[in-house]
Amino acid sequence: MIDYDYKKPESLEEVFSLLKEYGPKATLIAGGTDVMVNIRNTKKAPEVLISLRGLKDLRYIKKNKGYHIGALTTHRMLELSELVKTELSALYDGASRIGSVQVRNVATIGGNICNAAPSADTAGPLLVLDAQVVLEGPKGRRNVPIAEFFTGTYKTVRKQGEVLVEFQIPAEMGHFGSAYWKHSRRKAMNLPILGIAVSLKLDDETITDARIGLTVAAPTPVRAYKAEEFLKGKQLTGDVLKEAGKIAASPECCSPRDSIRGEAWYRREIIEVYVARMAMLAAEKIKNR
Amino acid sequence: MKKVSVSFTLNGDPVTAEVPVTWSLLKTLREYFELTGAKEGCGVGECGACTVIVDGDAVNACLYPVFEAEGKSVMTIEGIAGEDGTLHPIQTAFLENNGVQCGYCTSGMIMSAKALLDQNQGPMEDEIRTSIAGNFCRCTGYVQIVEAIEMAAREME
Amino acid sequence: MSDHLFVGKSIPRTIEADKVTGKAVYIDDMKRPGMLYGKILYSKYAHATIKSIDTSKAKKLTGVRAILTGQDIPDVRVGFLRDQTVLKKDTVRQFRDEVAAVAAVTPEIAAEARDLIEVEYEELPAVFDPFEAMKEEAPLVHEVDARGRPVKNNILPLPWKFEAGDIEQGRKDSAYITTDNVSTTWVNQCCMGTSGCVAEFDNSNNLTLYNQTNVIFGHIGRITEYFSQIGLKGKKIRVVNAIVGGSFGTKLDTDIYEFISIQLALKTRKPVKILFDREEEFRALPPRQPAVFTIEQGCDKEGRLTFRKCEAILDNGAYTSWGATTPSVMIMPMSSLYRVPNVLYKATCVYTNNIYCQAMRGYGNPQATFAVETSMDTLAEKAGIDPAEFRMINRNRSGDETPMRLKITSCGFEECINSVKEKLNWDEKKGKQKGRGLGMASLIHVAGGARVTRSDGHGMMVKVDEYGHVDVIESGTDQGQGSPTVITQIVAESLGVRPEDVFLTFGDTALALWDAGTHASRHTFMAGNAAVRACAKAKHQILDMAVEHMPKIIKGGFKRKKRKDPDFVEPELDYGLIADPENLDIRDRMVFPKKDPDHPYFRIPVSQVLRQGLLGSGESKVVVAEAFYDPPTEMLDRELKGNLSKTYAFGTTGVEVEVDEQTGEVKILNLVAAHDVGKAMNPTLLLGQIYGAAYTGVGYGLTEEIKVVNGKVMNPGFRDYQMLTAMDVVPIEPVIVEPVDEDGPYGAKGVGEPGLVPTAPAIANAIYDAIGVRIRDLPITPEKVLAALKEKG
Ligand SMILES: Cc1cc2nc3c(=O)[nH]c(=O)nc-3n(C[C@H](O)[C@H](O)[C@H](O)COP(=O)(O)OP(=O)(O)OC[C@H]3O[C@@H](n4cnc5c(N)ncnc54)[C@H](O)[C@@H]3O)c2cc1C
Ligand code: FES
Ligand code: FES
Repeated sequence: MIDYDYKKPESLEEVFSLLKEYGPKATLIAGGTDVMVNIRNTKKAPEVLISLRGLKDLRYIKKNKGYHIGALTTHRMLELSELVKTELSALYDGASRIGSVQVRNVATIGGNICNAAPSADTAGPLLVLDAQVVLEGPKGRRNVPIAEFFTGTYKTVRKQGEVLVEFQIPAEMGHFGSAYWKHSRRKAMNLPILGIAVSLKLDDETITDARIGLTVAAPTPVRAYKAEEFLKGKQLTGDVLKEAGKIAASPECCSPRDSIRGEAWYRREIIEVYVARMAMLAAEKIKNR
Repeated sequence: MKKVSVSFTLNGDPVTAEVPVTWSLLKTLREYFELTGAKEGCGVGECGACTVIVDGDAVNACLYPVFEAEGKSVMTIEGIAGEDGTLHPIQTAFLENNGVQCGYCTSGMIMSAKALLDQNQGPMEDEIRTSIAGNFCRCTGYVQIVEAIEMAAREME
Repeated sequence: MSDHLFVGKSIPRTIEADKVTGKAVYIDDMKRPGMLYGKILYSKYAHATIKSIDTSKAKKLTGVRAILTGQDIPDVRVGFLRDQTVLKKDTVRQFRDEVAAVAAVTPEIAAEARDLIEVEYEELPAVFDPFEAMKEEAPLVHEVDARGRPVKNNILPLPWKFEAGDIEQGRKDSAYITTDNVSTTWVNQCCMGTSGCVAEFDNSNNLTLYNQTNVIFGHIGRITEYFSQIGLKGKKIRVVNAIVGGSFGTKLDTDIYEFISIQLALKTRKPVKILFDREEEFRALPPRQPAVFTIEQGCDKEGRLTFRKCEAILDNGAYTSWGATTPSVMIMPMSSLYRVPNVLYKATCVYTNNIYCQAMRGYGNPQATFAVETSMDTLAEKAGIDPAEFRMINRNRSGDETPMRLKITSCGFEECINSVKEKLNWDEKKGKQKGRGLGMASLIHVAGGARVTRSDGHGMMVKVDEYGHVDVIESGTDQGQGSPTVITQIVAESLGVRPEDVFLTFGDTALALWDAGTHASRHTFMAGNAAVRACAKAKHQILDMAVEHMPKIIKGGFKRKKRKDPDFVEPELDYGLIADPENLDIRDRMVFPKKDPDHPYFRIPVSQVLRQGLLGSGESKVVVAEAFYDPPTEMLDRELKGNLSKTYAFGTTGVEVEVDEQTGEVKILNLVAAHDVGKAMNPTLLLGQIYGAAYTGVGYGLTEEIKVVNGKVMNPGFRDYQMLTAMDVVPIEPVIVEPVDEDGPYGAKGVGEPGLVPTAPAIANAIYDAIGVRIRDLPITPEKVLAALKEKG
């Protein structure tokens, strides 16, 4: 029978000492929307759940030099933030389409990324916003670029004793336009068949910089570097974007699979189409500023 | 089974529950407090039938570990009518506009609507639809539910 | 007719206030003293021999009260074709096969014990495709039939064949002929309340089954038969419904879990509840029956249908429930949707190792209508006739008798087609937009009962107490369709009381008279008719009382007045006015003479009459009346013909879609649902039925499918089963066509299922109009659309 204890520390120090005490027998829980579902589905539970919800000061969205988002920030907070909506639009697109309002009210961005599902809806946006993942352990903090954070399906570089505390997004990204498309059969309560995030910077009609992030297109969320390279220095035209889409959809950039949610060939088609569409949307965001 | 003692406000009253740590808020409400309005339609956050309001926000009680309720204010469908039984305007609107058919989704639906209307007095249709997107209903096609929430919003102005 | 106080009005569902306050008691909420919780262990294989079952670990668990396997209970066959046992002893034939069951003091303990049961299987070759299963070399799903005789193949002994007219002649008369292959898949009913029941025996082994069925008496029949084989012959069975969290066909049959809870209750001598979790609901609940059709139709130069020939193959799954009888309902659209003189329809049900199927809203009609309406469009195109015009030419009309011998009485078909055309701007837009398109499809459905059992009756009892409160003992069930309100309206109207005076008791076989079941959209029609009749009798009793007591009441009043006021002079009254019940009426709680409704003395509260009737001088009387309404209809004969319903509903759905040609995504811009409903008893509630059904129809058309891979359900939850959310907006414009039906209560017909039936084909037809590709396989997913577009080039 499922049985576990719980701890509700109020400071990071307490968390670290609990993590040390229990080691692999403990699991951190933030919103619990992955953890609780996992326990129910696998009928397996850790010995102790260490709740992070007592760490009230890890819930924030701030802008000073760059952007800072606390790990315990809920998707609902991201969705309701004007700052996120206007300056980090892809993240708004991703966070606001996670599950339902009920889920977004408790589920956190830190949980979404630490869970490291290939379908995580904030992963694509964070990839194209060049986010740094800030991990803190008893010995201090370290920054990991999000592109290096995921090491496999449900696997990350986070060490057992560490807590994800913050996401940092360079101030520079405020000059990019960004957008995220969650492709799914219905409009809510869905995991994506595919996620496509694009950010770019324009000098007039020239694309000076671009990022493309894909989810459910590989075992982890990935960047489509080849397609990004192709875009740099090119004019923002339909043909160019179409070509970028083609490259992003090619085996050089992704390796989608057949699953019950969608077939690989279809996923590639969607990448091709939506890389172009999201790039156009991202460009519009810049123009409308 | 490890037990936990959790104190919180339930529909305005201070309460304490002594239940296994592993219980969800939903199970605690249904089994310990015998408030069976919130339903377990899936148990994994996917149907909304268990929706209750915690500190003003709609949440899935099935995914909410009971220990996280400590110190919080929890509101359920049983707590929204007046003390004399006068229905809340959302409840009335659901009856008047056929927002309820089999009624299984209704408690959760009304709680989602209440959380919305408490935070947003004049919601647009898409805001209403967003607020109940996590509440599945097989009977109504949602149309008359959305209309009922609009009706209630006007009533509550 | 127009001066009704309640019928035809949008009375709120106040009578169901418990559903908005959390007080309504569903099966989930039901607890009986000492109740145990049952859990079921299902098979790990699609087809295997059970070598051994070891329950020893499970038995040791504290709190376990009983563990049953096929060895522990009588080996009795149940089900429509008696092709399965309650717990499977030797062989499992599908993943949902029930292998063992546990009863324990909590659901958690029961689940843990279940997981501790060890079963050793030896896998057998399985077959998952009905066409493969029909081949000679296919592995047999069943080695023997219900009587133990060896079987030769996987084809069910249930050949459905319908023939009318002469197909060859029809072919000869045709100027155009088309053939289409279409198919539909499994979809889950998705009742928000999952399946469950509580079985409880009294000391003498009489059973009370707390349930949530829509056919309370059907259960009694099946369980009685089961009882007679397990040594409980002659025991009384009572079925009592909790509030039903949606039905949609799922509660028509007595499911295996119900027999299991009965066995566990028998074993433990305690009430036992089994409640499915959502995953079980997807894995172990029989869904809608899938079907593959080959349909051929012809028409002459003028566009008149000449013949329709259709062959259907149904993947029956491993056992037989109502899914295998859907072909009988399919005969209705196959033979009678549009005028078609020559019809040949054959359906073959084939055993496979997939999940087996049952009823779902519309029964087989949505599947068959998808075939017919796909074919109507392809044939119209071939004949060069606008598809709306083509349907208009062939529409059914009042007075028709169809090849199945359905007698069409009231019929608003023409108006339905016309309103769809008008609302969609058909003539301007059809065939003229790129990436956008219009399509329509129609339906016929039973709307005045459906004689699928010898009796299609519906009983109702009405009891009026001395305060004027009316208890209505309804033999039907309420699964959310609004019947409590509609029946209240009819009773209040017919008896002359107010809706708030009416109290309903639903779904208790110990109280109610017999009923064939709340299915086939029959409830309003049948219960309404029964209510009108029962109320007429009760009213008569009250009026008899009034004749006896009114003079006394009135004179007593005068006496009292005189005592207070000695100057009062008793008026001269013509008591002849109230001497005959025929001359009296009741309305809005008052009794009065028909000739002078506002008579200053002869207009008195009905409750006063009722009180005098019971407690006044003279013979003491109570008011109670019953009616058993069984319409003059026919059961299908050997040729599967007969007028099985008193009236039929027609309807047309039209949709406008936009298709994203790069991604295959389909957006519904507008959906017009025109329905012929007879009289709208409660317009707001009626709209609810149309919206709900249309929405489910859109899901059927575009998103919903149970993915079954090698017999296993791969998407057993709402996360991957794509039922629509509130954000998947479908703009639905209902049109209510009201050709008052002479046989309906106050002119009403049934409307519970129709809205769903034509939605999917209307969408498919609109997609064809938009992009020139036709998807003949439901659901129409973006993948299929895009693949078809690519193939077309
Ligand atoms: C009904 C439903 C719908 C959903 N829909 C979506 C969707 O559309 N898109 C989507 O991407 N996801 C979806 N999810 C998944 C889930 O909601 C998200 O992944 C969510 O962001 C997880 O956040 P959480 O705070 O609930 O995480 P938790 O469940 O609390 O934790 C998830 C994991 O992260 C770890 N963790 C959490 N916080 C930290 C931290 N600060 N430091 C280190 N480790 C940490 C936990 O130990 C755990 O392993 C859905 C879930 C449900 C139940
Ligand atoms: S029971 Fe909580 S969302 Fe379904
Ligand atoms: S009213 Fe039945 S599920 Fe919503």
